[in-house]
Amino acid sequence: MPARPTRKAAAAAKPAPVAPNKAAAPAPKSRKRTVDEAKEESDDEFGEVAIDMNSDDEDASEGDDEDEDEDAEEFPEEEGQDMSAADLDEDDEEEEDSEDSYMDGDSIADSQEENEDDDDDIEEDSDDEEGRDFDALMREDDIDPNFGHNLNEPLPEESDYNPIKRQYPEIDPSYDSDSSTEENENTVGNIPMEWYDEYPHIGYDIDGKKIMRPATGDELDKFLSTMDDPDSWLSAHNYKEGQDVKLTAEELDIIRRLEGNRIPDADYNPYEDQVEFFSSKTEIMPLSAAPEPKRRFIPSKHEAKRIMKIVRAIREGRIVPRKSGYVPPKPKYYNLWNDSEDKPREEHVMHITAPKMKLPTHDESYNPPAEYLPTEEEIKEWNEMDKEDRPKNYLPQKYNALRNVPGYGQFIQERFERCLDLYLAPRVRKNRLNIDPESLIPKLPSPRDLQPFPTRLAIEYLGHEGRVRSISVDPSGLWLASGSDDKTVRVWEVSTGRCMATYHVDELVTSVVWGPNKDIAVLAVSCGYKVGLILPEKLFSPELTLHSEEYLKAGFANVAATDANAKATWKQPTPAEYEQGIRVWIHLQKPVKQVTWHRKGDYFSTVAPDANNSAVLIHQLTKHQTQQPFKKTKGAVQRVMFHPTKPMFFVATQRYVRQYNLQRQELVKTMMTGVKWVSSLDVHPAGDNLIIGSYDKRLCWFDLDLSSKPYKTLRYHTQAIRSVAYHKRYPLFASCADDGHVQIFHGMVYNDLLQNPLIVPVKILKDVHKRVDALGALCVEWHPNQPWLISSGADHTIKLFS
Amino acid sequence: MDSLEDGPQVQVKFITQQRQFAIPETAIQTPARLRRYGLSQIINLVLQNEGEKQRPFDFLIDGEFLRTSLAEYLEEKGMSTENLLTVEYVESMLPPTPLSSYEHDDWVSAVKAHRQGGFLTGSYDNHVRLWNKQAECTQVMTGHSGAVKTVQWLTCDGDSGTLLSGALDRSILAWEYNQSDNSHSILYECRGHTGGVESIAVNAAGDRFASGSADASIKLWTTTVPTVSDHIEEVTETRKKRKTVKEDRILKAPIANFSAHTGPVSAVVFNPTSSDTLYSAGWDHSVRVWDVENHVNLTTKNCEKVVHCLDYSALSGLLASGHADPVIRLWDPRSEDSSVVKQTLSGHQNWVSTVSWSPTSSYMLASGSYDGLIKVWDIRAKGALYTLSHGKGSKKVFSIDWSDEILLSGGEDNQMKIHKMQDMSGRDEA
Repeated sequence: MPARPTRKAAAAAKPAPVAPNKAAAPAPKSRKRTVDEAKEESDDEFGEVAIDMNSDDEDASEGDDEDEDEDAEEFPEEEGQDMSAADLDEDDEEEEDSEDSYMDGDSIADSQEENEDDDDDIEEDSDDEEGRDFDALMREDDIDPNFGHNLNEPLPEESDYNPIKRQYPEIDPSYDSDSSTEENENTVGNIPMEWYDEYPHIGYDIDGKKIMRPATGDELDKFLSTMDDPDSWLSAHNYKEGQDVKLTAEELDIIRRLEGNRIPDADYNPYEDQVEFFSSKTEIMPLSAAPEPKRRFIPSKHEAKRIMKIVRAIREGRIVPRKSGYVPPKPKYYNLWNDSEDKPREEHVMHITAPKMKLPTHDESYNPPAEYLPTEEEIKEWNEMDKEDRPKNYLPQKYNALRNVPGYGQFIQERFERCLDLYLAPRVRKNRLNIDPESLIPKLPSPRDLQPFPTRLAIEYLGHEGRVRSISVDPSGLWLASGSDDKTVRVWEVSTGRCMATYHVDELVTSVVWGPNKDIAVLAVSCGYKVGLILPEKLFSPELTLHSEEYLKAGFANVAATDANAKATWKQPTPAEYEQGIRVWIHLQKPVKQVTWHRKGDYFSTVAPDANNSAVLIHQLTKHQTQQPFKKTKGAVQRVMFHPTKPMFFVATQRYVRQYNLQRQELVKTMMTGVKWVSSLDVHPAGDNLIIGSYDKRLCWFDLDLSSKPYKTLRYHTQAIRSVAYHKRYPLFASCADDGHVQIFHGMVYNDLLQNPLIVPVKILKDVHKRVDALGALCVEWHPNQPWLISSGADHTIKLFS
Repeated sequence: MDSLEDGPQVQVKFITQQRQFAIPETAIQTPARLRRYGLSQIINLVLQNEGEKQRPFDFLIDGEFLRTSLAEYLEEKGMSTENLLTVEYVESMLPPTPLSSYEHDDWVSAVKAHRQGGFLTGSYDNHVRLWNKQAECTQVMTGHSGAVKTVQWLTCDGDSGTLLSGALDRSILAWEYNQSDNSHSILYECRGHTGGVESIAVNAAGDRFASGSADASIKLWTTTVPTVSDHIEEVTETRKKRKTVKEDRILKAPIANFSAHTGPVSAVVFNPTSSDTLYSAGWDHSVRVWDVENHVNLTTKNCEKVVHCLDYSALSGLLASGHADPVIRLWDPRSEDSSVVKQTLSGHQNWVSTVSWSPTSSYMLASGSYDGLIKVWDIRAKGALYTLSHGKGSKKVFSIDWSDEILLSGGEDNQMKIHKMQDMSGRDEA
């Protein structure tokens, strides 16, 4: 083992360039020389120790490897075995595997420096570098004799198989094979080395320690060394290291070649045989059999045009070369890994994020539970199905390990389809109103809380033989009058349904109304062209009867001369009629449709729609006078009504309801009903609201203080509404229609002007009256004191509901 | 009895207030599945009633009639069969049997029976009819010019007596009759109401009577027969015909007028035990208690419905009222609270036009309704005991009267109908 002591010496010599006392030592002329000297010195000083240190180990390792220190030995031993195995492989088999060739390298290294390898692995890292120093020296020494040999080395033979492939000299895999770790590298980098001229050091090594300038001789020394050393002309000065480096044979060769204007790489053959791909070898499947088109050989006119365009633009100054201050835009870089702040682009206002894909479920697992695996039939069915019809584009499959899962062949396809979906599917931003639908429904009290209101049939009043067109309850609430198409007026006892009196007239009775004054018992009846005033004798006390009689007759004395042109004439009844109870007849020019009383019971108004301008007449009972309140009436008057408290008068034409002030004789208000044909009208007992019914099934509630448009329009009937009525005392109103139903509503009017009336439908009395000739319920009337509703219909009946 | 041993047993102690049916008060093991009939058999067995002597019994647990089996009752009440159950039993009321019906010329609006006399009916043909005990119409009293709405006995001793009738002609007529010579005459005419007379009530002493009218007033009259007409401001000069009719009658004025009602007064009833207490009801939804002597409205009880009829039971001390809804309400007139209805009985389909307490039982009452049915109620039971149809169809019943063993009814179908009722006197001995 001649190498070992020298290596230890090198290790000892390593700190030499740094240590100041070593700097005082005689400066070597070259690197090699310095090392040599150091070698000799270290031999003297440390050689013995080094031998001692290693001698025990060495002996032991030579004798028995297993005795070595456990921590350190295990790996090298194995390696050694592997290597030996590799050696055997190489010997036995001639095959060249990638692995084997790798092992080859090892084995070669082994053969060269067998002992060193063993030692190196065992030794500590600090020793490695020292070893390298030595090896580098050794290699340099080795190369020298073969200097010329490298140059003359014949080119490796080109195999037929791959003519371009070249055989490079094999890399020596020893630790010093990497030149970067060869020495104490100067780490100052590529800087002008004259910066260090004034310093004793020339830079710093990897540990930050100063690298001292190697001692350089003066010109004489240089000259002497060149004289002494025959190879001095082969060395070059390394400024970084501050010393001369001896050039290797390869380097010299490269220089020589460069000087000779030859290709630096000796192994490169510039004159290799041309491989004529398209001419020499006939392809079995030619890339193209088409002959070269002619255009390949003709300069492109199109390109010429474009170029000329640019040229012209440059000449005319339209294209200006970059201005002097132009700074090319800096490329923008995004922080890929920071996903919070740095967004590549602000989201557009209308940007809609793509819907997230569904997360994979069990059957997409590579190892799904057995129940997710398809059966044979299912697989077959899946395979037979059209691709579009398949519920899923995969079949669950089972792999017992994740590494067995093959690449996903459908990946591109799936990505494409996803992108296609996103692109083609219109995504629209929908502004959803987050409103609870329940909150939109007005909060109405339950009908149960709004009692009393009529719910069930109590009494039927039977006896009429024609449609009962009109009913009225007297102010005391005991007597009910009804007028019918059988040309009779009947008076009924409300509580029992007993018909107490029947009055025969000669025309269909269109309207019956009790006088509103409790002190005067009078029933106004309109039939044909006449209006009759009836005094039902037996029903009332003698005092009341007498008083009423006087009241009714008083006017006859007043009217002395009857005008021939008068719109109405007041006449005495015949004795027979008088015996019946009829006290006064008023003859009009046209058929009377409606009679309505003023609240005090002195005035009453009649409506005869056919009588154009005199359609509405107001009669005064005490004076037997008739006035025509309107010189002209607009439209066909349907209904009229006195205001319950004020001197107001309501006239309902087909489409409008007009409110007049009778004292001032002016129009107060016109209400736009919005219906096509008003059929009925009633005014709330407080006078601030009114309801109308129409033949187009609507019931409109007007708040007179609010607007000329309906406050509420109720469409609950399926047929024309015939009659509407307010209750005088209870917050109730009702409507009846040709569908035979009667609807009852809670209509609360508050004294507070700010609070709108509350309208709640509380009850539908269904099929109250049978439909006869498309007519159902004809009239509704409320009992004046009780929450009882009375309705009459085309089926000849009158019904009371309580 | 072997089959009776099956199923769960419950210990029952039977008690009764009818001494003639008393059995020893020992607990008896009774099958829980027994119903009224089975329990009744047990009582009969213990009483050793056999054959004809067997009587039906009804059973009360906690004042409520047993209408299911014992087991079902216990389950409903959540009681255990381990407990001792105390069951009171009373002799069942036998179902009323219709005896006969008598045709009138017009609607029968009022019926009244008397223990000795017979029956009175008032009709819409303005006549008052008197029937003897054999149910023969002996007298037809003509005098009213309007439909007779109410009739009332004043005195009755055998063949002769006096009676009152009120009519829609606003007058009350007092009649005297004698069955022996088939004669009757108007004693006097009570004038003063301005609306039809709806109801007349005579006090226990028989010296006063009150009338309720549609003019919202109650008037109090004496029963003494005057010799001369009281001075009444009367409109006489207008109608000659009426004047002639009235000339031969002695007119009578009321001695008091109670006018607290705001609507027609539909019913007045005297308390039979204290002549000073008068109950009235009307269309103003109120039931009022009056101190007749002091003309004071003592208490007013209000409900939401028009009151059509009122009856007071001296036995139970309760008022029963029929309304413009299908419910009968029971009131305790002694309570001061104005709106406490003690109990309601529902089962009718239409307005209840008339109610009548049983004269012999404190629990039983009958009611007639516009749905044409008469129902007999035991206020301890939830539903009606018996439902009787008054006549053909669903003609309204206007008036019923329960007197000892008969139940009279009159209605829209022009019939007066008589049902035989079981006499239940002596049942409720305390």
